[in-house]
Amino acid sequence: MSRDLAERDDGIKRRDFLRVVGVTGAGATLTGCSTSEVEKLLPYVVADEEITPGVATWYTTVCGGCAAECGMWVRTREGRAVKVEGNPDHPVSEGGLCSRGHATLQHLYHPDRFHGPMIREGEVFRQGTWDEAEQLLAARITRARNPQNTTDGGRVMFIGGHMGPSMSRLVDEFVAALEGTRVDHDAISDAPLLEAARIAYGSNSLPRYDIGAARLLLSFGYDFVESGASPVEHGKGLSRMSAVNDETHTKGTFVFLGPRLSVTGLNADEWVPIRPGSEGAVALGMASAIAGPGGGGPYANLLQAYSPAIAAEAADVGVEAIEELARRFASESPSLALGPGSGAHHRNATAANLAVMILNDVAGNVGTTVHYDTAGAGGAAGASNGYAAIDQATTAMASGDVGVAIVHGTNPAYSLPAASGFREAFEQVPFKVAFASAMDETSALADLILPDRHFLESWGDSAPRPGVMAIQQPVMEAVPMFDSKQAGDALLAVSSRLGNDLGAATFYEYLQTQHRDFAGTTGSDFDEAWRQALRNGVVEFAAPASPTPQLRAPQTALTFNPPVLDGSGDLTLLVHPSARFGGGEFSNSPWLQELPDPVSKITWHSWLEMNPHTGEERGIRTGDIVTVESPHGSLDVPVWLYPGIREDAVALAMGGGHTAMGRYADGSGVNALDLLPAVAEQPSGALVTLATTVTVTNTGTGRRLATIEGSSDQHDRPIAPAVQLALLGEAAEEAEEEHGELMELQGVGGFVPVPAEGGAPGAFPLEGARHGEYADAHEGPRWAMAIDLDKCTGCSACVTACQAENNVPWVGEDQVVMGRDMNWIRIERYYEHVDATQAGDLDVRFLPMLCQHCGNAPCEPVCPVFATYHTPEGVNAQIYNRCVGTRYCANNCPYKVRVFNWYRYTDAVPEPLNWQWNPDVTVRDNGVMEKCSFCMQRIRDAENRAALEEGRPVRDGEVVPACEQSCPAEAIVFGNIRDPNARVTQVVASERTYRVLDELINTQPAVNYLKKVTFHEVVSEAH
Amino acid sequence: MANGVTKDATARGAMTHPDLHRLDDVNRDVLKMMGPPGKGWWALLGLAATGIGVFLVAWLGVQVPVGIGVSGLNGPVGWGVYITTFVFWVGIAHSGTLISAILFLFRAPWRQSIYRAAEAMTVFAVMTAGLFPLIHVGRLWHAYWLVPYPNARFLWPNFKSPLIWDVFAVTTYFTVSATFFFLGCIPDIAAARDRATGLRKKFYQVIALGWQGSDSQWHHFGKAYIFLAALATPLVLSVHSVVSWDFAMSIVPGWHTTIFAPYFVAGAIYSGVAMVITLVVPMRKIFGLEAYLTTKHFDAMAKLCLLTSMIVLYAYLSEFFLAWYSGEEVERTAFWNRLFGNYWWATWIMLVCNGMVPVMLWFKRVRHSIPALFVISIFVNIGMWFERYVIVVTSLHHEYEPFAWGMYRPSVVEMCILLGSFCWFGFWFLLFTRLLPPIAIQELKEVMPPPMRNKASGAHS
Repeated sequence: MSRDLAERDDGIKRRDFLRVVGVTGAGATLTGCSTSEVEKLLPYVVADEEITPGVATWYTTVCGGCAAECGMWVRTREGRAVKVEGNPDHPVSEGGLCSRGHATLQHLYHPDRFHGPMIREGEVFRQGTWDEAEQLLAARITRARNPQNTTDGGRVMFIGGHMGPSMSRLVDEFVAALEGTRVDHDAISDAPLLEAARIAYGSNSLPRYDIGAARLLLSFGYDFVESGASPVEHGKGLSRMSAVNDETHTKGTFVFLGPRLSVTGLNADEWVPIRPGSEGAVALGMASAIAGPGGGGPYANLLQAYSPAIAAEAADVGVEAIEELARRFASESPSLALGPGSGAHHRNATAANLAVMILNDVAGNVGTTVHYDTAGAGGAAGASNGYAAIDQATTAMASGDVGVAIVHGTNPAYSLPAASGFREAFEQVPFKVAFASAMDETSALADLILPDRHFLESWGDSAPRPGVMAIQQPVMEAVPMFDSKQAGDALLAVSSRLGNDLGAATFYEYLQTQHRDFAGTTGSDFDEAWRQALRNGVVEFAAPASPTPQLRAPQTALTFNPPVLDGSGDLTLLVHPSARFGGGEFSNSPWLQELPDPVSKITWHSWLEMNPHTGEERGIRTGDIVTVESPHGSLDVPVWLYPGIREDAVALAMGGGHTAMGRYADGSGVNALDLLPAVAEQPSGALVTLATTVTVTNTGTGRRLATIEGSSDQHDRPIAPAVQLALLGEAAEEAEEEHGELMELQGVGGFVPVPAEGGAPGAFPLEGARHGEYADAHEGPRWAMAIDLDKCTGCSACVTACQAENNVPWVGEDQVVMGRDMNWIRIERYYEHVDATQAGDLDVRFLPMLCQHCGNAPCEPVCPVFATYHTPEGVNAQIYNRCVGTRYCANNCPYKVRVFNWYRYTDAVPEPLNWQWNPDVTVRDNGVMEKCSFCMQRIRDAENRAALEEGRPVRDGEVVPACEQSCPAEAIVFGNIRDPNARVTQVVASERTYRVLDELINTQPAVNYLKKVTFHEVVSEAH
Repeated sequence: MANGVTKDATARGAMTHPDLHRLDDVNRDVLKMMGPPGKGWWALLGLAATGIGVFLVAWLGVQVPVGIGVSGLNGPVGWGVYITTFVFWVGIAHSGTLISAILFLFRAPWRQSIYRAAEAMTVFAVMTAGLFPLIHVGRLWHAYWLVPYPNARFLWPNFKSPLIWDVFAVTTYFTVSATFFFLGCIPDIAAARDRATGLRKKFYQVIALGWQGSDSQWHHFGKAYIFLAALATPLVLSVHSVVSWDFAMSIVPGWHTTIFAPYFVAGAIYSGVAMVITLVVPMRKIFGLEAYLTTKHFDAMAKLCLLTSMIVLYAYLSEFFLAWYSGEEVERTAFWNRLFGNYWWATWIMLVCNGMVPVMLWFKRVRHSIPALFVISIFVNIGMWFERYVIVVTSLHHEYEPFAWGMYRPSVVEMCILLGSFCWFGFWFLLFTRLLPPIAIQELKEVMPPPMRNKASGAHS
């Protein structure tokens, strides 16, 4: 590596490691938009200026995974994207990226992508050419629109998912030119929230939350960390809001009100387990208590009717709890109430959202922690259209009104309940077209499939919030084996065949036309402004100011009562978006399939969450397969008993049970929507997910769950301890005493333990300490990490980031069942206090467990061949080539962070999915041990760059492991702990610092944890 | 006469049957065993060979090319049936050398009739045990890296690792016990050579190393034998101590304990003697060796079993006591979990088979009942296999980090290899009974009264 760098031609100016290279408009990427090009495998006869073999080139773009539109940096090597990361300059994500964002890379190289346009011939598809496909589409549109055509005529309907503003405009123009209709549909809808914002404030976009600024945060069942409108941004906000300030010893309080604890809920300090659907009533009851008699503006009468007592009755919690919460909500300002989220879309969901808005309003949070944009359109176009629209479209299709249906970026045949009749109606359309890069349930019904490009191969734009715009640029040429074409280009081509000029020949041209004006905002010419936008990955400009809006009365009466549920079952069914798959659009990614769910820690398959008491009453245990029956359908699914759900409810996540999505999704789990009715919430039109009760009967069979969880109890071990907020400041003194005791051990020849708490780990190794072959002779850095458990939200983004960076293989469901999951980081989740029967303190500990790089590592002396050893830099290294596979190191690792290659897992990775592998990290052979390397390749890369470019040692912050880079909560800090000014050294100086199990077995880890801070008294001594 | 022989022989420490009084009978009876085998032998050999076939297919045909993933091993439980069986066979290997070397040095009166079979068992058990580390490793083709050999990169094994000690201990033990076994056989091979014909004669001629039974040969033989016995004796103690350190040197709760070396050695002798009983009882029956293997031999072996079973039981109980007494939560959980956790059944099999069943050996009637001893020995064999299973698996499946706890279930491949190992062992043992004198001819003769011309010879001296 270093030699490669040294021999490089000095004529090329190397970029700074962290500077991202923009693409000049023409050149390599533009040719990527042409499909006529012949692909050849040739070495670089004349090397591309951008590409230096062995050196990564970084591009900015926008994540196309969901409507949050986080900024992205993409690392490319030799013209291939190999890793996506958050763009720290982007105001939405600020460098974070969620698991789904990382996994988008797998969709780019997915072996299930189409190799070319697919034309239906009877029951099967035939691969055709683009010319043929476009000609066919144009001809069919012309035919359908012919008024004389009575057999297969009809209008053109465009069913779209989430798309950027320019694409949205293009679609509108395309549809308008054909006098067709456009319908938008997303699996997960924010329609009730949007509708409530429109009713209450006349806003046309989702409210924006400044979660980080709140002192008291209430979530009414809103799972914003994993599946809200902007998971990275909101997760970051939660961590900023709830993390303790080590100077002032203060932290914000987070209260979760809902029937089930999502991963968001598990982060709360208190849990009020309210009855499903009672969110609106509780919010109104609190608002009523805050506003007092006559308060609440246009809603005064409403608040009058909803006293805290009525709310308590509806929610099945004590009235004192609600009054107390209301009092605090008003006094601990700024406060913020969120929700209810898409998991609680019941028949009165708009009213419930409105109730939470009223609560925020009466507490004076509007303009401080919650913002409504009333000026511009804002928000992501098309993201929030609800079920009502698609229901009308279904009716139109069923009545033979539609001649050509075009589907783009959405999968309604999967994400609508069977009862909606969409599938049958869609099948009746004479000509169905799907823009999809890979097969899904909707494309499988189509007559023509036009393979769309992945967003990493496409042009696009995004406007995640007013004042922020970012260009999505292709970071590589389209994957050559897939003859794909960006939907925008295809629409323009078809348009021109139809004789409609939409003002551009390619979507790139169209996109640039759309953004001609932003040059003016920066005061330079367009080309320079464009390059600048691409280089930075984001353009920020002054958004039109929105005046603080006034609460308005609804035009039509809304019902705020808890909804009436279907059926007469004794358990309420909660259907919520999956933390891994969202609404099911990510299910075909093996990374996400194998990512342990942040709550249940189950991989791959579906499970039904049920309270242990409910299970006990019915003789149902974890792993039992039960039949869940609603009036609308029934499913067989294994049970996972979970204390974080009310006794009268069961929960199922979306995203499972695909039938035509691809090799990793099909047959895995069940589709929870099969149990739901096809009902639209009024007035927003969102699909109702909290709609029905169910009965649960044990089938008498069972299975072993594909879980990574061994025990959720710490067993009184010093693994994930916590400290009470009130005791902060006193912990240091206690540690001093403890330390003295440990020092006595040295007197009798024992190891010198690093002070367990409050010590100076920079002074490592301590005098007299014996560890490894290299002792303290080395002058260089000692790499260390600090993980703040008070910040960690358990979102698991780091797990996928690590998997992507380090070529960690996935192993499949049966292997996980056997206990062979390979992830280098495991987010352990321990329950301390979780009780669904009473409101109050909640204590769940998340602990990211990775190789601790022990100074006194138990794995090192037992390896018979030195395959694992200690580097002079303090890293516990694993030499794959030397490993014989005795597995003694894994046995002797008290943290159980070593994972073994039981098979040659990489053999199971089909072409071209293996293109995603990071060329800086070797793939591992059958029969060798592996584990976290502290991203050694990134350390070396940073060191080499520093040495070669400026002849200096690496600076603090230049080495960023994949987990730290990705962490939305900013909980992970990495650096040289010998450097007293390093961030890690300063973080570790906290009195909350401890090392897992260190005081028990003196492993002297390099990974330091900062204890979680609780408001309540910590029960056990040990944790 | 008969009375005289008995009295005399007893006085000299021999424990052969009173019917035996002619040296020729010994040669005849023992060498008869090596005659043309019957159908039963061929059937057993065929069974064993089939088992080896299954074993080789499971190992080299499936596990090596496909991956060690065909076993049931996993994250927390990286060692399972393979290591269990390795330790089991190393343990079996113990009693052979104990009986042949230590009892030789102590001049124990009952070793002559059984030591050959016990020694053969030792050698074959080590041969079986030695396969298991190879079966166990993830990359068989690199297993030779555990051997220190000079190389251009100056790469040596890690001499701190107990696994390296194990390599040395097991190879040394195998070398010494095989040499000791072979050396003791030489005079008997010569006797066989003198009776054999054809190809067999050629074979015995080669391996008899020109033994003529001359005085100087006997002199050297005796010296060599006693030196090797002295060399082998510490190995009996060291091998299993080292094997126990594979566990004791780790920090795994349930493994990390100082009691392991004596505990393992006692357990090894215990299981080894039980295995000798298991093997010798059918041998005695099939070959009609009642005259050579009397109840007194079995009584002695039963007493050794009883002694070691008590040591082992004491070790079990002290482990439980110390786990409680230590006050360490992790240690306590590990041992509580042994008794009442997921693998309670394995622990209770171990306790019943190793701790309770042998209590019957206190009774002389049991010790003198060959069928009873046979049944008890089977129980002990099962119990001792489960002892190692309990140590290996239950300790690993619940270690320090509760979130990483897991379960282990052996796979079909592991079971094939486990059963195949018995076939592999049985194959060699069957060959042994036909190819080498299974009872030491010359040593038996040593303890028999010398032939006298006059009829009253028995009463003489």
